[in-house]
Amino acid sequence: MNIAWVLYTALGLYLVSAFCYLGSLRAGRTGFETAGRYFLVLGFLVHLFALVLRYFIAGYTPITNLHESLSFFALCMAGFFIFLRHAYKVESLGALFVPVLALMLVAALAAPAAIRPLPPVLRSYWLPIHTVFAFIGNAVFFSGFLVSIVYLFIERAIKKKRIRDVSGRFPSLETLDRINYKCMSYGFPLLTIGIITGSIWAEMAWGSYWSWDPKETWSLITWLMYAILIHNRLAIGWRGRKTAYMMIAAFVSVVVTFIGVNLFIGGLHAYI
Amino acid sequence: MHLIVLGLNHNTAPLDIREKLFISDEAAAGLLGELKAAGAGEAAVISTCNRTEVYVTGADRAASGRTVMDALAGRFGSADSLFAYTYLLSDEEAYRHLFLVASGLDSMVIGEPQILGQVKDAYRSASGSGAAGPFLDKVFNRAFQVAKRVRTETRIGYNPVSISAMAVELARKIFGDLQRKQILVVGAGEMCEIALKHFRKEGLGEVLVTNRTFGAAQQLAEQIIGTAHPFEAMADLLVRVDMVLSSTGSERPIIDKPTVMDAMKKRKRRPLFFIDIAVPRDVEPAVNDIGNVYLYDIDDLKELSQAHLSNRIEESRKAHAIVDEEVRKFSLWLGRLDMNPVIARIRERLDAIRDKELKKTLQKLKGADAETVRQLDLLTRSIVNKIVHPHLAALKEDGSPAVLELIKQLLLGEEDEKEVGDRDEGE
Repeated sequence: MNIAWVLYTALGLYLVSAFCYLGSLRAGRTGFETAGRYFLVLGFLVHLFALVLRYFIAGYTPITNLHESLSFFALCMAGFFIFLRHAYKVESLGALFVPVLALMLVAALAAPAAIRPLPPVLRSYWLPIHTVFAFIGNAVFFSGFLVSIVYLFIERAIKKKRIRDVSGRFPSLETLDRINYKCMSYGFPLLTIGIITGSIWAEMAWGSYWSWDPKETWSLITWLMYAILIHNRLAIGWRGRKTAYMMIAAFVSVVVTFIGVNLFIGGLHAYI
Repeated sequence: MHLIVLGLNHNTAPLDIREKLFISDEAAAGLLGELKAAGAGEAAVISTCNRTEVYVTGADRAASGRTVMDALAGRFGSADSLFAYTYLLSDEEAYRHLFLVASGLDSMVIGEPQILGQVKDAYRSASGSGAAGPFLDKVFNRAFQVAKRVRTETRIGYNPVSISAMAVELARKIFGDLQRKQILVVGAGEMCEIALKHFRKEGLGEVLVTNRTFGAAQQLAEQIIGTAHPFEAMADLLVRVDMVLSSTGSERPIIDKPTVMDAMKKRKRRPLFFIDIAVPRDVEPAVNDIGNVYLYDIDDLKELSQAHLSNRIEESRKAHAIVDEEVRKFSLWLGRLDMNPVIARIRERLDAIRDKELKKTLQKLKGADAETVRQLDLLTRSIVNKIVHPHLAALKEDGSPAVLELIKQLLLGEEDEKEVGDRDEGE
């Protein structure tokens, strides 16, 4: 059970980080933010260590059931936020991102975590390739979703002239919009690779590149939505509110693909 | 002599009413002339984006108020609709009001310093045109002293969050870094320059200047190191810039919704931030409904900056106490000015009595030596002073009309009182 303890340690570090970030939002002290950042990075490293540990113990890439998926997703979120923070100096977004990813890890820990023998169909070197791309892509999209919510919230406040409701520490609209654009333009190729690798794997495992199972269909819908989003931004100059709404809608499609299909619809992908 | 003030401000009237009643410098000169023709005494007009106030002096408060109301109503529609938005204050209340206004205590942003300059300008133009006379001189000059005292003795004006700073703050919320942002300055007002200075600190990109008269645009552009552009190019300019700082004297909006919608399409919906510090407004309010366009007018900015001020209640209380004290002192001083002729008359009269009685006595005391005469003179003078001093002290302590009347009766007698009274009225 030592893996679980490592994960609990990571969760503890994430929670401390989340409290630091939330505290900095209230107190407006940069000391809290710095502490939040260190705890987040520490949590990320411990979390990564837990993943590697599980990989060696289980003998396969641990992204095969709900526990592993959520845990890996939380890890991707932590990693991507550390990148965002570094690239855009959006420290204050930690007050949203870190609590959310900590909650994800809580959900992961609540799911059955026992290591079971892998179903034969998943025993393939395509497993890490396909899932890692798909998961990182989804984590990026989820980040875009969170940023869009913050964007809509701040945009509304500025438009309605209630800006005093919003802490002055949140990033500017332009920064949020730029991050949004980055999320769609990083997430889209990742999703594309995820779909292509998945389809190659499908050909090898099931003998058909594309069999229109619900997961495949929904990932195609998701892919189309992000494609439209990127096209509209580049061609017509869609940005701001519209983009934010569309990012939220597209992420709903991601959620359906990721969880909804497995839980409610079923099909070939129903491993979780 | 009474002072009355009739006016409206941001507390009593919304922006669109204030816009209608805004009185430009030229219009103020006309209004002062009208008031004079209508029989008002001295007069002055203060009109800023937050207030329009007319100060007049007169013997009859009600009549003066009516004169001003008629003059304003004649310009801006019926008097009935105006009544709902205006206040009419007289004498001490009017002094207090002017002191509060000059000190920035009646401003939307408490303690803001610009208003003092505006009141000074209003006074200068009123006295320049001969509308303000000795009485308004006294009131306004005292108001300036009070404003100075409030500023030095309280922290009310200490580092106020100015509307310019607020505009910069908002721009940062929208754009983040303002390093390479371009700003378009429309109009050549002083407010524009102040606001621009704040933006400059953030390190702007190019500053574009436009004005209805191209010459003025060129002049301002030279002054603030920008580029001048013809007013007709507005539609193209809106495509180029990120922020628009507008402060023209135009009576009607100069930037309307269709123009901005068009520009937004061409600029691929990049955000556009309008800072409209003009009164009346330069940018049609409906522009704010367009996506990715943010429009803040002067009221929005002021309300925001007000919300950012904290802990000013204590300072504000101190400042009000100063104003109250100054109003009392000023009223007393004015009263004393009124009494000066009376006091002189009393002294004259008592001196005359003393002189007469002394002469009589000296006639009886033939052959008195010089020393005796000197001693007698000192004695009588000292008696008169001793008798008159408590009366004058009482007058100075409480210069109310009742006390004045009583002392006049006691020391001057009825005939003299009439005489002095006539003289007073003649003044």
